[in-house]
Amino acid sequence: MNELAAPPAPAVRAPVRARRAPRPYGLLVVSALIAGLLAVPLVFLLIESHAAGWSTVAAQIVRPLTGTLLWNTIRLAVVVTVLCAILGTAAAWLVERTDLPGRRLFAVLLVVPLAIPDFVVSFGWSSLFVWVQGFRGAVLVMTLAVYPLVYLPVAASLRAADAGQEEVARSLGVGRMRTFIRITLGQARGAILGGCLLVALVLLAEYGAFEMLGYQTFTTEIFTNLQLPTEVPTSCALALVLVAISLVVLAGEARWRGGGRVARSGPMATRVTPPLRLGRVAKAVSLTGVCALIALAVGLPAGASIYWIAAGGIPSVSNSVSVSMLSAAWHTAAYGVCTGVLDTLLALPLAVLAIRHSGAVRQFLERSTYLVLAMPGVVIALALTYFTEQYLGGAGYQTAPLLVLCYTIMFFPLALVGVKAAIARAPASLDEVARSLGHSRVAAFSRVTLRLAAPGLVAAFCLVFLECVTELTATLILVPTGVQTLATQFWQYQSSLSYAQAAPFALVMIALATLPSIVLGRFFHVSAQAQGSEA
Amino acid sequence: MRQLAVTDLHKAFGRHAVLTGLSLDVSAGSFTAILGPSGSGKTTLLRLLVGFERPDAGTITIGDRVVDGPGSHVPPERRKIGYVPQEGALFPHLTVEKNVGFGLPARQQRSSRTGELLDAVGLSGMGSRYPHQLSGGQQQRVALARALAIQPEVVLLDEPFTSLDAHMRASVRTDVHAICAKAGTTAILVTHDQDEALSMADRIAVLRDGRIVQYTAPQNLYSRPADPALARFVGDANLVEGQLCGRAAPGMVQTSLGLLPLEPASAAVECAGPVTVLIRPEQLELVSEIASAGAEPGTVSGHVVAYEYYGHDAVVRIRPDGAAPGHEVMVRTVGGPRLAIGTTVKIRARGPVVAWTS
Repeated sequence: MNELAAPPAPAVRAPVRARRAPRPYGLLVVSALIAGLLAVPLVFLLIESHAAGWSTVAAQIVRPLTGTLLWNTIRLAVVVTVLCAILGTAAAWLVERTDLPGRRLFAVLLVVPLAIPDFVVSFGWSSLFVWVQGFRGAVLVMTLAVYPLVYLPVAASLRAADAGQEEVARSLGVGRMRTFIRITLGQARGAILGGCLLVALVLLAEYGAFEMLGYQTFTTEIFTNLQLPTEVPTSCALALVLVAISLVVLAGEARWRGGGRVARSGPMATRVTPPLRLGRVAKAVSLTGVCALIALAVGLPAGASIYWIAAGGIPSVSNSVSVSMLSAAWHTAAYGVCTGVLDTLLALPLAVLAIRHSGAVRQFLERSTYLVLAMPGVVIALALTYFTEQYLGGAGYQTAPLLVLCYTIMFFPLALVGVKAAIARAPASLDEVARSLGHSRVAAFSRVTLRLAAPGLVAAFCLVFLECVTELTATLILVPTGVQTLATQFWQYQSSLSYAQAAPFALVMIALATLPSIVLGRFFHVSAQAQGSEA
Repeated sequence: MRQLAVTDLHKAFGRHAVLTGLSLDVSAGSFTAILGPSGSGKTTLLRLLVGFERPDAGTITIGDRVVDGPGSHVPPERRKIGYVPQEGALFPHLTVEKNVGFGLPARQQRSSRTGELLDAVGLSGMGSRYPHQLSGGQQQRVALARALAIQPEVVLLDEPFTSLDAHMRASVRTDVHAICAKAGTTAILVTHDQDEALSMADRIAVLRDGRIVQYTAPQNLYSRPADPALARFVGDANLVEGQLCGRAAPGMVQTSLGLLPLEPASAAVECAGPVTVLIRPEQLELVSEIASAGAEPGTVSGHVVAYEYYGHDAVVRIRPDGAAPGHEVMVRTVGGPRLAIGTTVKIRARGPVVAWTS
């Protein structure tokens, strides 16, 4: 996960002994509590499976349907991940390392799909083209929807890495193609792998897009089963398999990544290397390719929404949606802000622990939070639902706090990545200086570290907010009674084929998510530049 | 008057003992250097003094206040120790003025105090700049002004000049020394650079393996180091074998470079026996060929093996006749022509020298 953002510590050398600082007991206790909260869904999934009886659960796993779902899920995950890796890396390389015309603009546009929910991309395509369905449709839609998860980290790592190494390789007699494979891809390896991990996890967790395309995966099946209270063992069984697959993906990524640390040479690396000049044909082909990618991933879903509004007649649409729209937008934003603030705050202690301290306990706590990544939203929602039913007699189920709790757990790992990157920008030595100047530990932290980390904290907040706005699966399960968010209202209209009513919600969702994604894009850009110029 | 006292300080990280019974007294208003190679425990000592770490045993007293002792630990923010870390560590998000005023109470931050401090370090008018707009030397001076702002009893300088260019280092050293002297602040400089320690400090404490092995004035340290290893550490050194003359010629030592007088304070002048003798390259001189056509008493002949030219002086490596390879001696010369390798020369040694029984 660390590849998403690795903005550098400023050029102040950390004191050699800092990592041997006395044990931060307070920090450890708080972090342990947070890690415990994050483990709640997994624990309840296991308790629920136990209550249902392990033999019943096992029987549910060993049946032909599981095989079908496994095949569907895995082949889609593999094909889309590979396509995203190729598209995302190629686009990142073109934008960061060549003289492609308009690459500043493309750098922004290529990230926009992050702000478009996968199910809106799916809606755009499947509402216009009948053939977009099943496996074929799922590959197309998901590739266009999630390739930025590879593009963004790879672009950041290429920007930060030393392009001078490519020149050295060429000067040593290595050809252009082999230089690209051995040096450039080598520099971006960690980022590509990390991006692929995110893509695979998103595919395992996606519900809305596949439901629309009629493509059956573990997540859609769990969701269907949830409607039937008698199917508890089945849901548990499927959820366990889904978690197991996610764990395999996580472990695989960690294994592959091992030893892939990229070292930078010293001050020499500050030199700016001119971008690679593309030939005329290569330039034309690349330009067409990037434009086509943006048109298909951004233009088509947005265009489809506008088309449906126009087709429905703008006055009639605006009348029917205006009131529900305001309420839905308000609730969406409110849940997003609450979750963003909560996640950023909760991530702080673990981030400080991870960046400034060492030790087995700290490592265990930090790693344990990544287990959440293996818990798709539907599974977390399911576990929380059971929890309220079993222990609270249904109290709390489908209330705003439970929904925010669910979001908070789901998006904690994202927040942690951002907050860690933010804390890493503020060297511990600055806090020490502040203390020697008469400020208490807390005052030093808030006046120095928090100030320096602020941009990164805002970025972490934006990331979580963005995810909340575009979340559908868990929201459908846990949304408070009588309340609609943009996503659920869109889903309701779309399910009843009221495309003209659904489309405005898609556009507002995109609008609400675009602003934070631009902030994010800027943060990655600036931090990578800072890394490039400091060293 | 004693300003800072460290008594029997112990600190270990896990099983790795870093400080093993270190004691040190620093008098008020002095400029003291703590000199040690990397890994000698310098940084640990410094972090203990500022209060970032707690000692396992021993006491630290600043002024008349025990800041670390059995059962007591004063946190860094209440020690009033000015700390100038490596590379300055200025707060990148604050202007120079706000950096300097960081440790002052809120109502004093906008007063003329920060301006005075910037004047003192020669940076008047730069208050509104940001750290990245300053050169390395200017950043160091801001860091010093920031530390002095809280009117500390002691200023600790943690290798503050290592990140500077060679030509800038000398001038910043001089400035820092002058600023500290003018402010009347007791200063402790931690460094691994013996030139820095020798040129700046009133007294130098040499740290090795977690304790102070010698604590004395720079001149003493250079001419009368405590042991041969220390002799090499504080400068170029010719360590030659010698024989004490004992009663036959009290206070004299016979070496391959001639019969030389011992430092009066040198130990064991009465006894006879083998010793290791320190002859600094400045204590050797080349005797001109013409003047010494014959065998001149007190000189040794040899041939030039290497010639290193430094501008202000040069070091000639000479292998004395009959010496085995690897037993060359260094002679520092000022002026004179470049000597070709292989040239035959005569050298003469001047005492007094230090000797240690080997």
